[in-house]
Amino acid sequence: MTAKIILPILQILVIVGFSPLVKGFINKIEARLQCRRGASIFQPYYNLVKLLRKDAVVSETSSWIFRATPYVTFISILIISLLVPVLSSQVPLNFTGDIILIIYLFALARFFLVLTSLDTGSAFGGMGGSREMMVSSMAEPAMILSIFTVALTVNSTNLSNITNLLLNNSVLLLNPSLFLAFLAFAIVLIAEAGRIPVDNPFTHLELTMIHEGMMLEFSGRYLALVEWASSMKLLLLLTILVNIFFPWGIAGGLTFSGLIIAFALYVVKIGFFAFLIVIVEMSFAKLRLFRIPNLLGTAFILSVLAIISLYVVR
Amino acid sequence: MAEHISHLFIISIILYLAGSLFALCFYGWQRVGNYISLILAAIASCFSIAAAAVALSSGSTIRLDFTIYHAIIKYNFLLDPVSSYFILAIAVIGFVAAIYSIGYTRLYVNKRDTRFLGFTYNIFLASMLLVATANNAVVFMIVWELMTVVSFFLVIYEHENPANMKAGFMYIIMAHIGSVFLSVAFFIMFAHTGTWDFGFDDFRKVGSHMPLIYKNVVFFLVIIGFGIKAGIFPLHLWLPMAHPAAPSNVSMVMSGVMIKTAIYGFIRFYFEFLTPCPPWWGVVVLIIGASSALLGILYALTEKDIKTLLAYSSIENNGIIIIGIGLSMIFKSYNLMALSSLAMMAGLYHLVNHAVFKSLLFGCAGNIYYATHTKNIEELGGLIKRLRVTAPLFLVGALAISAIPPLNGFFSEWLIFQSILNGFHIPSVIIKIVTIICGAVVALTGALVATCFVKAFGISFLALPRSDCAKKAKEVPVIMLVSMGLLASLCVFLGIFPVKVMMVINSVNTHLLNTNILPAITSYDWLHTKSVQTNFTELSPKSATVLGLMLLAVTFGVLTSIKPRFVRKIYETWTCGRSPEPRLEYTATAFTRPFKTIFSNLYRPQREVRTEYSVPNFFVKSITYVGEVSPIFEKYFYSPVARFILNISNRVRWVHTGSIHIYLTYIFITLIILIIFVGK
Repeated sequence: MTAKIILPILQILVIVGFSPLVKGFINKIEARLQCRRGASIFQPYYNLVKLLRKDAVVSETSSWIFRATPYVTFISILIISLLVPVLSSQVPLNFTGDIILIIYLFALARFFLVLTSLDTGSAFGGMGGSREMMVSSMAEPAMILSIFTVALTVNSTNLSNITNLLLNNSVLLLNPSLFLAFLAFAIVLIAEAGRIPVDNPFTHLELTMIHEGMMLEFSGRYLALVEWASSMKLLLLLTILVNIFFPWGIAGGLTFSGLIIAFALYVVKIGFFAFLIVIVEMSFAKLRLFRIPNLLGTAFILSVLAIISLYVVR
Repeated sequence: MAEHISHLFIISIILYLAGSLFALCFYGWQRVGNYISLILAAIASCFSIAAAAVALSSGSTIRLDFTIYHAIIKYNFLLDPVSSYFILAIAVIGFVAAIYSIGYTRLYVNKRDTRFLGFTYNIFLASMLLVATANNAVVFMIVWELMTVVSFFLVIYEHENPANMKAGFMYIIMAHIGSVFLSVAFFIMFAHTGTWDFGFDDFRKVGSHMPLIYKNVVFFLVIIGFGIKAGIFPLHLWLPMAHPAAPSNVSMVMSGVMIKTAIYGFIRFYFEFLTPCPPWWGVVVLIIGASSALLGILYALTEKDIKTLLAYSSIENNGIIIIGIGLSMIFKSYNLMALSSLAMMAGLYHLVNHAVFKSLLFGCAGNIYYATHTKNIEELGGLIKRLRVTAPLFLVGALAISAIPPLNGFFSEWLIFQSILNGFHIPSVIIKIVTIICGAVVALTGALVATCFVKAFGISFLALPRSDCAKKAKEVPVIMLVSMGLLASLCVFLGIFPVKVMMVINSVNTHLLNTNILPAITSYDWLHTKSVQTNFTELSPKSATVLGLMLLAVTFGVLTSIKPRFVRKIYETWTCGRSPEPRLEYTATAFTRPFKTIFSNLYRPQREVRTEYSVPNFFVKSITYVGEVSPIFEKYFYSPVARFILNISNRVRWVHTGSIHIYLTYIFITLIILIIFVGK
């Protein structure tokens, strides 16, 4: 019983606590590969602490939507972090919902962020919001189909059950359709998290920014919450990817030693995929806006092939 | 028990008729007459709600037969759980819309005859209830026609506007084409019943011995006949014209429940009359549903008129309901009754959800029109500070329709996804793949709906007002807000407590499909309240909401402890050194521009940019931008058909000489031919 209370708290702490580190890690590696020294990997923490201590400037044009959005975004991502298996494949709160709920909770966060981008009356915001909706709409079918491939392999859409079943029947992971689904999900992850080649998180140029465009008007506590939510989103998507397709090492039960080992392996796995993201970001230029549908179309085709091969192999 | 229900139902119909007559009585005192008739409509709806609720909870089937001696038509009515479910939806929306109308009709007082509105509105509601209960093909066609004609008059209520008249005529012509198809379908089936009754009870037995070829013909006739009413692509043409033309309180009812009578028709035909069905029927219905969903939302996306946008979105939602029905048909034809029941539950759940949130959205669009006298969202903006109550109500509707948890749209979408996933039980690989592709279509549709309603809410309510009419907007009468508040709280209730609705739908399924899946898909969760589960997973929107609220409290506490006195400085938006102006804001057209580019094959956007110079080629005086989506269905489907029909009628024109003698000869020849062929 105590484990059932401790584990959700642990999950939230891991996701909330380590998500800025992932961002810092990616930035640091990227800087090193570009022959820069780069900021400390703890820089995102310093930024958050500073922002949280500051007052905020709010546009006089904006309404209560602007003030509610940071909370809505942050909370919806927090709920997701309770539903995703992080260290143990047992998720005490897994009766709350499945992967479909998670996808639509991401949609809730996005809905409010895009509304806020229109709220301040600045053209940059609208531009970012419009593009964000375009990218996410194009990514949605591929995301759903790749998730469905996994769900149909193990007959469950509940992430906890999926991880559990794949952990116990690792043979299923050799299914070629899961490999295709993995590729599709990886592309969708890059689009959803707003990384190169879909979006450049470092830019503040009106021609190129997507996600950053929506966050321009935030400051102080609001900016901290939104920034934190977006780095949590990246970590959560990576966690889902890692724990569905590479579940080895995740604790099957709720033992202390199991959780320690799981944590060590989790850090290694996330670190590896964060490194892969860096490699992708280093080797590609940002795509033109209207090339993005082609990339996501590729992801969609991959996921359709995944489903078809699943049915045919069966 | 049965007597009580039938009495309640009859009383409600009588009250509707009384309401319509009262409206006519007060000529000089229109306002009072109008209020009385609308209040009577509301009371009558309450009676219907009571009748339907009692009938559903007892799961009983009640027959109301009015036998008139020597009459050819047998006035048979039947209240089974299927009818009761639709009556419940119609009456709830009718009740809310009647209350809303009390405020909304102030827009017309002393400007036009509001007696007529009260008169037709009551008959409209009564006719829909009768459509859902008619148990005889002749009666069904009569009340179906009544519903069409009355709603036609409601559509052309503001008849000085030629666009409204055109919309009305388009509606009534297409509706009648639909009726023709339906009548033919009824006649074909009637030919196989062997009785003269036209009773639905006879039709229920006909499916098993009718030859397959006739069944297939009837299947397609019904798809077209009811499809026109449901607004499926490409038969949707009237819907985005007629719904915006009607006054908002009428569009609420039309979009919320009238188009659902087509779904009712589908269920009656495909689950009762024509059973057993071959699997490919379900696939056809599924594909029609998926394509209507996708195309409907794609057209809604580029729309600037808020009511047209909502009308296109109704096509999309009807598509999703039809996906549920189609899946249910496929599962049923493979005799997977539990799954059929699940898919039916998804479809019927979405039906009632759509009725609620679409009426809410149409009502809020009515509020906007009431306050600003415009429906063009490009002229709005900043309304969140002026219509302070309407704004959150519209937001609830927008979130619900975008399937955002924990509101009701999410739950039915989730059920649809669960049914689609269960498609892997279907033996045929092709059908499996079709269902899963439909899943992708539903996902894409969901994302596009979110875009569409972010645009609708964001452009019309947020930022600075873009025109004087938006600047001067004032909040609407309280009664309109109260009725919309009812619908908004229903959106929340239906989303957080789904099991209650599922129990109701389950009694429909128990009657229709003879399967009771409720014990299998509900369970008690940790809070010892009911949660929902399928063979894939569990879902408890309630605990997600509770978790969210708990986390919000914790977050807020932590943030306050970090910085106890959080100050917000108010300052103007940075617009590169200029002062913020409405022209600097993003517009609806700009917001959906990326989609126009991506789906340019469908939209075929026509763009025209004209520049006027005060000094040629140097100083620009004005730039005009005209951007339109070309209507490909009119161009490639309707125009050729219309041209073909006109050609044919030109060819046979010489028959109409205008001379009575020749006409008499025609009649004589027809008579002889009939005697020869029929007399045999």
